[in-house]
Amino acid sequence: MTTPLLQVDKIEVVYKRVITAVQGVTLSVAERQIVAVLGTNGAGKTTTLRAISGFLGIDDARVTEGAITFKGTRIDNGQPHDIAGRGIVLVPEREKIFPNLTVAENLAAPVPRGTGSNERRRLDERAYHFFPRLAELRARTAGLLSGGERQMLAIGSALMCRPHLLLVDELSLGLAPVVIQDLTRRLTTIRHELGIAILLVEQSAAAALEIADYAYVMENGRIVLDGDRERLKSHQDVQEFYLGQTGGERRSYRDVKQYRRSRRWYG
Amino acid sequence: MFRPPPRASGYLHTGYGEDLALLQTRTERTSLAVFVVLLGTFPFVASPFALDLACQVFLASIGALSLMLLTGYAGQISLGHAGLIAAGAFTTGILAREISAPFWLTLPASALTGIVLGFIFGLPSLRLRGLYLAVSTLALHFIVIYLGGEYETKRGFSTGILVEPPSFAGVRLTDGRAWYFVLLAAAAASLLICINLLRSRSGRAWRALHVRETVAEALGINIARYKLLAFVISSSMTSVAGCLFAYYRGFVSIEAFDLFLSIQYVAMIIVGGMGSLLGALLGAAFVTVFPYLIEALLRLLPNIQKLAGDIFAVNYAAFGVVMILFLIFEPLGLVGIWRRVQSYFLLWPFKYKPLAGARK
Amino acid sequence: MQLAVNIVVLGSIYALIACGYVLIYRVSRVLNLAHGELMMLGAYLLLATASLFNGHPVMALAAAILLSLLAGGLVYIFLMRKMTGEMVLAAILTTVALGILIRGLVVLIWSAQQQYPAQALGVANPSLVLFGDARISLWSAVLVATTILVYGALFGFLRFGRWGMRMRAAGQNPLLAAQRGINLHGVYALAWCLSTLTGALAGILIAIDSGLTTSMPVIGLKAFPAALVGGLDSLAGALAGALIVAGAEVLLIYYVDPLLSDVVPFLVLIAMLIVRPWGLFGTREELDRV
Repeated sequence: MTTPLLQVDKIEVVYKRVITAVQGVTLSVAERQIVAVLGTNGAGKTTTLRAISGFLGIDDARVTEGAITFKGTRIDNGQPHDIAGRGIVLVPEREKIFPNLTVAENLAAPVPRGTGSNERRRLDERAYHFFPRLAELRARTAGLLSGGERQMLAIGSALMCRPHLLLVDELSLGLAPVVIQDLTRRLTTIRHELGIAILLVEQSAAAALEIADYAYVMENGRIVLDGDRERLKSHQDVQEFYLGQTGGERRSYRDVKQYRRSRRWYG
Repeated sequence: MFRPPPRASGYLHTGYGEDLALLQTRTERTSLAVFVVLLGTFPFVASPFALDLACQVFLASIGALSLMLLTGYAGQISLGHAGLIAAGAFTTGILAREISAPFWLTLPASALTGIVLGFIFGLPSLRLRGLYLAVSTLALHFIVIYLGGEYETKRGFSTGILVEPPSFAGVRLTDGRAWYFVLLAAAAASLLICINLLRSRSGRAWRALHVRETVAEALGINIARYKLLAFVISSSMTSVAGCLFAYYRGFVSIEAFDLFLSIQYVAMIIVGGMGSLLGALLGAAFVTVFPYLIEALLRLLPNIQKLAGDIFAVNYAAFGVVMILFLIFEPLGLVGIWRRVQSYFLLWPFKYKPLAGARK
Repeated sequence: MQLAVNIVVLGSIYALIACGYVLIYRVSRVLNLAHGELMMLGAYLLLATASLFNGHPVMALAAAILLSLLAGGLVYIFLMRKMTGEMVLAAILTTVALGILIRGLVVLIWSAQQQYPAQALGVANPSLVLFGDARISLWSAVLVATTILVYGALFGFLRFGRWGMRMRAAGQNPLLAAQRGINLHGVYALAWCLSTLTGALAGILIAIDSGLTTSMPVIGLKAFPAALVGGLDSLAGALAGALIVAGAEVLLIYYVDPLLSDVVPFLVLIAMLIVRPWGLFGTREELDRV
């Protein structure tokens, strides 16, 4: 069994020294794998992503237990630009572009370590190759782009940093289903052509499960279910609570999610 | 913000009167009584220098309390405090000089000037916040100072206006001890006014609009009215302080009210601790005593001859350093330190532990 | 005609100082109220280097400018870096405290007397005659030329230079910039260095032209409305604002009352805050950056 690219081992993340947001979370991402983390609001998904990418310090949070290992080195509680230099690049949920710079400038702003101007030109071409629409919008101010174009630009500028692992936070937020499908398809192409791994945090389980090889489901700061795509898609709870395909027989409080879940998994 | 201090343990009140009382535990009552006794006997045992220092602290507290009300509680930043004090002082000086107005006329007149100016200073706050509001108060400060300077030059008082001491029923107020008690009463009155304002509807409205203006407005609080109210009340208190300042010093000159004075008042509320009336008092005491402390420290050093002539510069430099240190290392100010000491003793022998849920 | 020359000279002074405010604000949303004092520090450093490099005015000037650049970087590294991420108000008050500290130190080191760097350098300041009967002193003309050069260089740097683009990116979205590998501390330090550099240039040239006193920071404070009128994050705005404020000041002094000189910039400031708080060319941001 090859060592995974990213290994998160039973981490615990505490905000302001009193609020535990994430407890005992273990997940791993292998090379060239697309892994999805699903869950509702407040499940701890974004916190986990932040822990991996090193952005906890902003909200006065820390990884207090466990370890995060990337390519064999521990990176928990590291500096963001350090982690970015190692090859983990984050596409944030909000504020993902520089609104007053043009598209071309947005792609030119990132600073990948150790690249000459030839290499940068190649990276530029690569971004336009994956997102041809951006090539048409080169001179447009980024703040004026539509939601889908903005997301494309965000992923493109992340690619400029030559990631080995791409973290994508809430790709589908605020986008039409057609656009989401298009983007997820492009992500698969990117994974295929560049050989990078992608960790996807998503509320829209349907979109994520289309492209993920493996997925984790988080609730209240813990991982409650994990498995490969087929297993999750056919799992009854996932179908009912995340994919919206209800069985239709819920009549009493006994059928409420928590109760059923705990009876089935812990009882 | 800050945690209120632990008070009585257990809720044992049996009536609204007890609930609303300012002093709720026996310890609080006894410590206040002791403090009052100390304050009362101080002027009879202290040197004239210490007496003057105490008077200065009381004067400064009035201004600090009003600024804390405006900036610490209502969240409206004001860098123009010196302008308001100057306005009060100049109103007093002008009225005393031009029409020989007595004390009981100049005091309300200063308050009135404060109200009008407060309204003007407060108008930008309806549209601006944060940095831009601070800048607008700065600009207004310079305009007020300019007007004061104009008056001085045009009326030939280029070295300043002399003000006679006020008289009550024929008795002139010149004695140091008498001034001590007058200023103590003024400071205590300001403190009580502030405490009561903060416990009232206005205080709650100010706290609300400080934290989240849009939510406060959604809850039905008239933002414009309360912002202007904060400015008006704060400014009138400050102008009254200016009036007392004019009488105490006996002399009003525009140079005494420069930007550095405004900064000193802002330093008072920051060093003291934002959002706390006790902080305003502590900060006022600290900033007022600070120059004398520095001077005393200098005298301990061997080669003071060189620096003695530049005492102002040393004060400036030391003030800058201390302010920077507080901003970087102790943003909660003296009150933060005080509360930490307090909770250490109150919780001893237990130490502060994180809440349940932070550890498995 | 002389009025026009005065406006241009005063406008150049304000513009050269104002771009320092804009640089730091644009990149880190911090208002550097110590700019006037740092400007003054540059001029006093010239005094020091002038006596060090006695007889070589060019070297003295270059050394002073270099030292000022260094000072700006040091201010960031040792002081302002600790305030990144704190409330903006706290950062502004830190700069105020820094200004007070510098003022005290300058008097302690150099005394509060008026100084004449022109004499120390050994350069003359003759009065040149322009068209008509308008006169301008040599070093005022140098100042105007310097302002034009500085602005040209800054425009080019911000628009086309790689670090300039990083500065603009960091100003718009610091978090994303950090994620994309832009070294935020480096960008901020660079902004402080450039700002102190332009401020020192202004301070040095003013001091050579008309002497050096410890009340030079007042000019720095008067230039701040120029920056705000144009828009705190716009260089072009700083230029426009400086000319407007200078024009108002010179005209009002001439036609109304000479005592107005210190208060005119603030009158213009109030007017602008009432009408258009984000300035002529500034980005319309939420006005509650606290």
